[in-house]
Amino acid sequence: MTGQTRRGVMKKAAGTVLSLMLGASLLAGCGSGDKEQAAGASGEAGGSKERVTLKVEVFDRGNSPSPHTITNNWLTQYVQKEFGDKNNIDVEFVPVQRSEETTKLNVLMASASDVPDIVFVYDSSVFYRYAQQGGLTDVGELLKEHGTNLTKYLGDETLKFGQLEGKQFAIPGKRAITARYNSYIRQDWLDKLGMKAPKTTEELYETLKAFKEKDPAGLGDKNIPMGLALAPSGYETLIYSFIKPVKGDLTYSQRYEMPLHEGFKEAMQFMNKLYNEGLVSKDFSLDEEEEQLTKDFQNGNVGFMTEDVGQILYADGVMDNLRKNVPDSKVAAIDTLTNPNADNKYTKSRYGSNGMYIMIPKSSKRSVEAVKYLDWMASGNNLLTMSTGVEGENYVMEDGIPVIKEDATQEVKDRVYNGGDMAILANGKAIGDQEMNEKAWTAGFPKQNQELMRESIAVANTDTIGPIVFNRPIEAEAKYGTALNDKLKVIIVQSTMAKPDQFEAVYEREMQDFMNIGGSELKKELEAALQETN
Amino acid sequence: MTKAKATYLNPTGEINNRRSSYMKRYWQLYALLSLPIIYFLIFRYGPMYGVQIAFKDFNLFQGINGSEWIGLDAFREVFAMNDFYTTLRNTFMLNLLDLIVSFPAPIILAIMLYEIRSGWFKKFSQTILYIPHFISWVIIGGIVYQLFGTQSGMINEVLTSMGFEAVPFLTEKNSWLITYLFTGVWQSAGWGTILYLAALTGVNKELFEAADVDGATRLKKIWHITLPSIKPTIITLLILNLGKMVSIGFDRPYIIGNTAVREYSDVLSTFVYRIGLEAGQYTLATVVGLFQAVVGLVFIVGSNYISKKVTGDGIL
Repeated sequence: MTGQTRRGVMKKAAGTVLSLMLGASLLAGCGSGDKEQAAGASGEAGGSKERVTLKVEVFDRGNSPSPHTITNNWLTQYVQKEFGDKNNIDVEFVPVQRSEETTKLNVLMASASDVPDIVFVYDSSVFYRYAQQGGLTDVGELLKEHGTNLTKYLGDETLKFGQLEGKQFAIPGKRAITARYNSYIRQDWLDKLGMKAPKTTEELYETLKAFKEKDPAGLGDKNIPMGLALAPSGYETLIYSFIKPVKGDLTYSQRYEMPLHEGFKEAMQFMNKLYNEGLVSKDFSLDEEEEQLTKDFQNGNVGFMTEDVGQILYADGVMDNLRKNVPDSKVAAIDTLTNPNADNKYTKSRYGSNGMYIMIPKSSKRSVEAVKYLDWMASGNNLLTMSTGVEGENYVMEDGIPVIKEDATQEVKDRVYNGGDMAILANGKAIGDQEMNEKAWTAGFPKQNQELMRESIAVANTDTIGPIVFNRPIEAEAKYGTALNDKLKVIIVQSTMAKPDQFEAVYEREMQDFMNIGGSELKKELEAALQETN
Repeated sequence: MTKAKATYLNPTGEINNRRSSYMKRYWQLYALLSLPIIYFLIFRYGPMYGVQIAFKDFNLFQGINGSEWIGLDAFREVFAMNDFYTTLRNTFMLNLLDLIVSFPAPIILAIMLYEIRSGWFKKFSQTILYIPHFISWVIIGGIVYQLFGTQSGMINEVLTSMGFEAVPFLTEKNSWLITYLFTGVWQSAGWGTILYLAALTGVNKELFEAADVDGATRLKKIWHITLPSIKPTIITLLILNLGKMVSIGFDRPYIIGNTAVREYSDVLSTFVYRIGLEAGQYTLATVVGLFQAVVGLVFIVGSNYISKKVTGDGIL
């Protein structure tokens, strides 16, 4: 083949590609035209008598007990019967895998036709990004018209979390309980060594060393003085016991903003010490889902760990398994991490009073029905039924607190297996004030764990540091949040696993990187925003 | 029939007639060809429309057309990112090491299989060797983590019980490289033998008989007969692999990699996933993808050129 003919072929090919591109752009042109029309029609949808379909996102954790499926179970049927049929609406649930929350949502939002009418996300920077790019419906008017119960239930304070420049772009869920993390220690290990429960970080370190050297349970290589995973309940608790909050008992809300605090380096140094002296799980960096940690703890190999409140106390959960595996084991909830940069208080993070951001995409034609659905959920007994089940069958009311009936049949229990994910308006059982909610929460645990649960909540509520709420989005969060969150994990892992003499160099290098990829911009913006609030 | 007559009456009919009878005869082949062509148009050329995202401030809700042009701003941003260079370096490094370690493995394996006399044993070992190829990386990842964990992995449990230090196969970057490479060999070497074995079936048995008569040892026969006969296959595959230097699969580095070895395990494909799908910065992800495609093209064309020089034969 000569050069010339080849060039001819190339030209032809280029022509084909060009015409294809043209064709495609024409098609796309039509597509966006449709979208505009659709948006125009959304206003009137509420008035029509025609039966319509409302699509609602739901988290899929892959744990549906047979015969239920994530899209057809007792709760979906309940919603259809009590809400859908009465309003001439077919409610359809769109499952999104829990672990792929944001990724899948990004894909869904990009397709105007497949996106559910109700979506949600925990990450505020994702919410702000969608809102700023003009992808969300302003629900302010709709709330006034169709959402009186909803507005009353959430209250102005919670609703504020979903506002941007005076517009209500999200309906924030409510968080029943702000208690977040606490620490557990093996009391039987302490007893064997004749030691008292540690009361300060320094004492904890000595205790862990004793656990390692004296190996009270005789575990040999399997002995893990402190269980650690690359999960927030592990590292966040440690870091919060070193950092100085920026404003009283409040500080920057995002996890990846921890490195911007005074004291962060000391936290890394402490983790480095623990790791290099063999006091924490060796493979913590691989254990992002806490699988290994859970296994180690319930096998009785772990002396101390920090965990989400209640996480290990569920029926047939980690704690129950530990009792089975090691019958003479005893676990106590303790407060031991004192903060040298905050008057040696037991500082730890608490949740903000909002739950997730519930949003209605701009392309949705069913915004009215969506608000009606949420309003229905907030009215009467619906929220309680969705999270807990039927009174008298799943629970009984005692002193205004729903107490789970443990003798209910498995079939009845399975009705609300994903109640927490369906009742999107509330994280946890929001039945009254914090104290009531905590009692209700505790009542949901098996009898043998309730005492420990009460202790856990008490520990988790001591000296907490809450998130600052700025009344405007931090641009850098939307822009760099995900990258910084990822970098945070790298900083933690690299600094912790560095050889002690290399710690300084590794830490400085990673922090430099962190600042370069957006950390310094974020810091500047946060400090400016902080100035405004003062 | 009337149609044929009409063609006959046409003064230029002869050519038309020949062409139509050609099409009549071979239309099935064209019909078959149309399938891959449609595939390429839809799945390979169609998505190129989206390449313009790299030059736009892409807004999810405005669509490609509604987003504003930003020229080369996104390229500047990407080229200023440290992570970009790290991932680029890692992509080359992992691919190059893979080439050194994983490329010879199927050749050696194929020769060994070829030397096996017993028919059933040969078939049996081939089947066993192919199986890893059909296991998804997610499962392989699970197995690797169970086997190579520092405190709970089986290998290290054996090592420590024999009094050795545990080896951080997954969390120390250099040991991780070895884990990564050998997992690759384990997964792909068996399957890779297929092409070589196919090439070996064409070897004339008389050559071996003649060599036997001349008293050649088995190694000599392998060196002088077996290897030369698969040389063209080796070179073609080498060129194909060189051409793919800048592209790297997503599953293997993503699944075998972890935060502790991010310095080595982060490659272009995982980088694109992270900034594109996780962080929603579609413009930047497209820039990286486009860059990858352009460099990939250079490599393909380059290796084709080299191949023409060396073997007189190219793949383009």
